[in-house]
Amino acid sequence: MFNKAKSSSKFFELSKFRRRFVLLILLTLFTSLISRSFYLQGMQTDFLQKKGQATSNRTEILHAYRGKILDRNNEILAISAPRETIWANPPEVVMNLSQKKELSRLLKLRLDHLDQRLGNKNKQYVYLKRRASPELASKIMALKIPGIRTEKNYDRFYPEREITAHVVGFTNIDGKGQEGIERQANNLLSGVPGYKKVLKDNIGRIVDDLQEVKIPIDGQDIKLSIDKRLQYSAYKALQKSVEKHNALSGSAVLIDAKSGEILSAVNYPSFNPNGGSKPTQKIRNKIFTDIFEPGSTIKPITVSAALESKKFKPTSIIDTEKGFYRVGSRLTVRDTHANGVITLSEVVQKSSNVGTTIISEKLDSKYLWSTLNMFGLGSKTGVEFPGETSGIVHHFKKWRKTEHATISYGYGLSTNLLQLAQAYTVFANDGELVPVTLIKKEDPTIGRRVLTKKTSQTMLEIMESVVSSEGTAPLAKVPGYRVAGKTGTARKIINGSYENKYIGSFVGIAPVSDPRFVFAVMIDEPSNDGYYGGVVAGPVFSKVMADALKLYSIPQDGFLNEKEEIIIADSNQ
Amino acid sequence: MRLNLILFFVLIIFALALVNVEHQYRNHYSKWDIENKLTIDLKDEKTKLQIEESDKSGNDRVNELAQKKLNMSLPDSKNQRTLK
Repeated sequence: MFNKAKSSSKFFELSKFRRRFVLLILLTLFTSLISRSFYLQGMQTDFLQKKGQATSNRTEILHAYRGKILDRNNEILAISAPRETIWANPPEVVMNLSQKKELSRLLKLRLDHLDQRLGNKNKQYVYLKRRASPELASKIMALKIPGIRTEKNYDRFYPEREITAHVVGFTNIDGKGQEGIERQANNLLSGVPGYKKVLKDNIGRIVDDLQEVKIPIDGQDIKLSIDKRLQYSAYKALQKSVEKHNALSGSAVLIDAKSGEILSAVNYPSFNPNGGSKPTQKIRNKIFTDIFEPGSTIKPITVSAALESKKFKPTSIIDTEKGFYRVGSRLTVRDTHANGVITLSEVVQKSSNVGTTIISEKLDSKYLWSTLNMFGLGSKTGVEFPGETSGIVHHFKKWRKTEHATISYGYGLSTNLLQLAQAYTVFANDGELVPVTLIKKEDPTIGRRVLTKKTSQTMLEIMESVVSSEGTAPLAKVPGYRVAGKTGTARKIINGSYENKYIGSFVGIAPVSDPRFVFAVMIDEPSNDGYYGGVVAGPVFSKVMADALKLYSIPQDGFLNEKEEIIIADSNQ
Repeated sequence: MRLNLILFFVLIIFALALVNVEHQYRNHYSKWDIENKLTIDLKDEKTKLQIEESDKSGNDRVNELAQKKLNMSLPDSKNQRTLK
């Protein structure tokens, strides 16, 4: 039995050669496997991992909501609304003729154009329609055409359209701010998008969540100082004046004199920021970016400098001669008509260039220059708006006798409309210049002293006389309120020389007893029915200021006689 | 031998705990995803309502309603008086 078993084990025993041969084969196989795995794991890791992830792992962007832009009363000025992008993967698209016709109808695309877009089988992503409404997208998806998909994204919507277009600005199709506050506060409004990692199959469908997620951070809302109601009022009044006087354009800015907040900033003509292309010549916000020679609206600054110097009093007598005055050998200063011997107050009331020149001759150039600078002219206001200009006030050392004279009545220097309005906050604020802002403020405003309280109040009284029947701006009166202001009618420089084209302007303050608002208006090139500031800009002031005073429940401080009431009522119609 | 047995059971318990945690994480993630989609839909709905509200309260529309439906107009010079 033992022998039998031994013979059996011998039977299965392999020869030495065979054992070694099998061992060699196994070793060779293992070696090749190990070397292959080493090659894949060690030498091609990055390439293979990237390739693997590209075909399976995808990062889905989680949308961060762009912040809203609101007015001071939380009314919406800009908001992101959901829109759909309809796109196709041409190699996958299969549809019958009726589906194609229906798709063409919904997309408002001609059949041959649709064929052209879907004909390129090398592309895997072809836009069919961007900024489509969710309703249209759902109708297209209801056709159940393979290869046609939608993607939700967000489009900016501006409910106030033209009225707030210049201040709010707009974004491009990718949601990036291009103009106005949208551009200025783009980083704040944008937020930070999140992501989540998903597993997709080879035709782009999500088959699993990889559970790695970063939550998006929504953009912040921005509350502007703008009051939508006053913005509307100013826009309509400006539109009426520009159309009535057949002007090129008009701009207006209303400032809260106490806080420096800009309550209204409008330009006409404007543009609709919703939708695609915008007319490039209309998108500039002229209030902040365009400079012009302010003309007579500078005179109160010159006169206040004269009062501060103690060389003049409001009752000081100035002989404006026969309506013209020679400065050196090159300049003759002229008034519209001869005013004769008048007081300093009457120089402002009648807007006498000759009177202002005579006053300025008694003032040192450095003193006049520093006063203009103290009023904020020649430097940016610091308002939160892209592209603000600083204006030009040349250094006094560059002034000759003629510049000294012309600057005193508003020629030879330039300013934007906001700077001019800000300068008048000095008169409205007991001699303090307040910083202006487009963002709603909660904290009290700290101003910078420019004039003494006494000079400031004297100037208000002088400027009140401008808005009287004897002054240059009776049409700027506001029923029931005392108003102070100054008109400006400046000739325009075109190609280096003064032409018979004008900028009519008015800057005013109300109510005089406790100033609350400063409003500046300019009408560019009025060519019909008058061009003087009092005629073209005065009524705009009257209408908008009346609305502002009523809306903010400012108590009345002035009572007019019946005759004056009728003049105002007629001018407002 | 006894120590090995204890370690084996500990291993089993930790393995089960790991599976349970994974399962719970997946459940929570799924709930978060559903809630997130709901939040987005509600935000979009709110946006639409805000736009509608803004449209309804637009100055032009209010003016038109005042003039056409309520027959309101600015008083003429004869009817305009300042209270003293």
